[in-house]
Amino acid sequence: MSDNLARVSVSIGQGSIGREPFETPAPDRHGFRLVAPAPSRRGRPRIFYALTAVAGMAAIIVAQLLLSVGISQGAYEISSLQSSRAELGRTAASVSEDLVRVSSPQSLAANAEGLGMVSNSNPVYLRLSDGAVLGAPASASGSQAGAASLVPNALLTGSTLLSQLPDDVVAPSGAVTITSAPVVPAGLAAPTTR
Amino acid sequence: MRVRNNSARKAGVRPNPTNSPSNRRRTFFTVAMLFAVIGLFLVRLVDIQVVQADSLTADSVGNRSVGQVVYGSRGEIVDTNGVVLAGTVMRYNITMSPVNATPFKRTVDGKKVEISVAEAAAEIGAATGQTGDAILLTISNALEANSKANFAYIAQKVDVDVLRAVQDLQIPWTYSENSPSRVYPNGAVAGNMLGYLSGEGVPQAGLESGEDACLASTNGSETYEKGADGVRIPGSSVTSTEAVDGGDVVTTIDSDLNWFVQQTLAARAQETGAAWATAVVQDAKTGKLLAVADYPSVDPNNVGGTKNPEDRGSRAFTESFEPGSTFKALTAASVLDAGVATLDSGVVAPYRYLPSNGANINDSHSHPDQNMTMTGVLIDSSNTGMSKFGEMLTDQQRYGYMKAFGVGTATETGFPREDGGILHPADEWDNQTSYATMFGQGLTTTALQVSSIYQTIANDGVRMPVQLVEGCRQADGTLTNVPDATGSRVLSESAAKDTSDVLEMVYQKSWVSSKWNIPGYRVAAKTGTAQMPDGNGGYSDGYLVSVSGFAPADDAQYVVSVSIADPVKLNTSAAPAPVFQEIMSQVLKKYRAVPSGATAPDLPSTW
Repeated sequence: MSDNLARVSVSIGQGSIGREPFETPAPDRHGFRLVAPAPSRRGRPRIFYALTAVAGMAAIIVAQLLLSVGISQGAYEISSLQSSRAELGRTAASVSEDLVRVSSPQSLAANAEGLGMVSNSNPVYLRLSDGAVLGAPASASGSQAGAASLVPNALLTGSTLLSQLPDDVVAPSGAVTITSAPVVPAGLAAPTTR
Repeated sequence: MRVRNNSARKAGVRPNPTNSPSNRRRTFFTVAMLFAVIGLFLVRLVDIQVVQADSLTADSVGNRSVGQVVYGSRGEIVDTNGVVLAGTVMRYNITMSPVNATPFKRTVDGKKVEISVAEAAAEIGAATGQTGDAILLTISNALEANSKANFAYIAQKVDVDVLRAVQDLQIPWTYSENSPSRVYPNGAVAGNMLGYLSGEGVPQAGLESGEDACLASTNGSETYEKGADGVRIPGSSVTSTEAVDGGDVVTTIDSDLNWFVQQTLAARAQETGAAWATAVVQDAKTGKLLAVADYPSVDPNNVGGTKNPEDRGSRAFTESFEPGSTFKALTAASVLDAGVATLDSGVVAPYRYLPSNGANINDSHSHPDQNMTMTGVLIDSSNTGMSKFGEMLTDQQRYGYMKAFGVGTATETGFPREDGGILHPADEWDNQTSYATMFGQGLTTTALQVSSIYQTIANDGVRMPVQLVEGCRQADGTLTNVPDATGSRVLSESAAKDTSDVLEMVYQKSWVSSKWNIPGYRVAAKTGTAQMPDGNGGYSDGYLVSVSGFAPADDAQYVVSVSIADPVKLNTSAAPAPVFQEIMSQVLKKYRAVPSGATAPDLPSTW
């Protein structure tokens, strides 16, 4: 269709400017004029269009291939990232489970006992307004609640108390070990409590 | 063709052999075959594209797509401080294909090593804590049942460490599957109340069952397409249904306090050889339960470790008993509120009292007639004295007070299978029951209901609904299903105060006063000793001993109620009194209750 239009416009140019018309058209009668066929070899050769089309198609195919390779590559990356995320999620869940387990009252109480602490449920208060001592002060002897755990927790089976851990676990090799008493600067009198 | 033939004739050429009958037949035959083949293809095409289109598409998707369950997470049960009491964790089932259990090659240090089935089984066993022989037995059993068995469990519900250990073995015939599980990080802390799930995840008891509507999640499913190497094809993910996580149940319980209460209670229950015991700590002003302890405690992580099925529930909610003398506080409060007696009123309490209606009341120990006030009656826990005060009210009046205190109706906690106790209507009481109900016999209450009675007295006569659950916390943080917390006035403020004063005298003067003394605080408390039913309509020789009370009495904040059933080594209130003392001390210390300033009232016990 564009070919036809081009011919019309070319023929108009030829008819009006180039040379005398071969046969006078009757524009008044029909609104049509006889036009000479356009020279087919004018402009770029057809092979050019063909090559352009083929090259375009090739470019599209290559681009699509590359895109699809890229997307597939992305899929592998996503797949590996997702599996590593799942693994990390599992690790996080497992670690937080451990944390919750060792924060349980049974674990805390057992560890405190293991470190030599005793619970004292004997509250004694000093009232500041009149200095009155409320309650009977007594040394903590460990109440009934401090006895061996009577509230079982199956999750703690097999867990080790802090006090029973080997030393190298409690104090890692990098920990600072104090081997001698700190040096007190001369001139500062150390208070003596008598 | 015809044109060509004509021109051939005109040209005088020899007749074309294509025009012969045999050729025509051949042409016709060829064309017919052509059409037949085309028709065949056409039919097949329509068959594939139209008739079977749906099923074929489904088949093709099925061949390259993978469906998997997206697990919704069951909600957590948390305590009032957000400590997780029950949570959901992912566990894994290790499975295998027995029919494919054959030796395989593994690359070790760059060399291919053949691993036999026995070696592989031993390696798996080392990871899962089984013996290699046990796994070989599983394989042979599965193959015996079905020689082409393609599925068997090696281990179920193992944690991620075991899963990874097995996966690292790279045994081609082992697989794993997800298996969401319930975990109770604090073990038996509030375990009786939390309940537990069956192996299939069906709630069996306690809050797990009662609050299942909030906790339950809905599993979703996801379908995606995978390539030959198992990698998901980009853009093919189709989530068919979204998984919906369950809501979290926020309880009013304080898990640390609950642990202490359970520990203290268990120690005393074991010491006294009790059958079972309960302890309840309630906030006096709000009615919220801060701790509910049961002995024996059940660890929901290991329900099978509790042999007796009756020990797996929470008796504080589900076991009603005749409360005995702790109930006298209710009768005293009713009499004082009705205005038929004051703290100065006196009665003569004999050892045996035979009212005109034919009942027969006697005290626990022989004594001469005593001139007692209300205070004296409660300090001595005299049944006859209480009867003389109680009969100042009609049965109907006392029944009305009992109902208002919540007796005979399950509390508002919504706990599954909570017992409401037995309270017959007043017109069904016989002569003895009419009097027995004054001192806590002829009716039954749960430990919660007794606690609620004392909460009402402690809270200036306003009974608050007993609350165990704050609500259901949705994903967006909003609390839904928040229980109603509107109190109801049962006693006048002055009657509540008078009753509290009397109970404070009991705390100071009772025979167990040295065993429940908490220096620095004013405490109101009452003991109870009631015979236990033998299950056949009579009484056994076991007693249920209890102590209920609240502190600080001048501004009551906490109610503690301790019940110990059948402590064979010490069947008096001396069994629960030290437990009450320890628990109340811990509560007052933990919540930083200010020690009482004013001195306790001193009411006359005789006249």
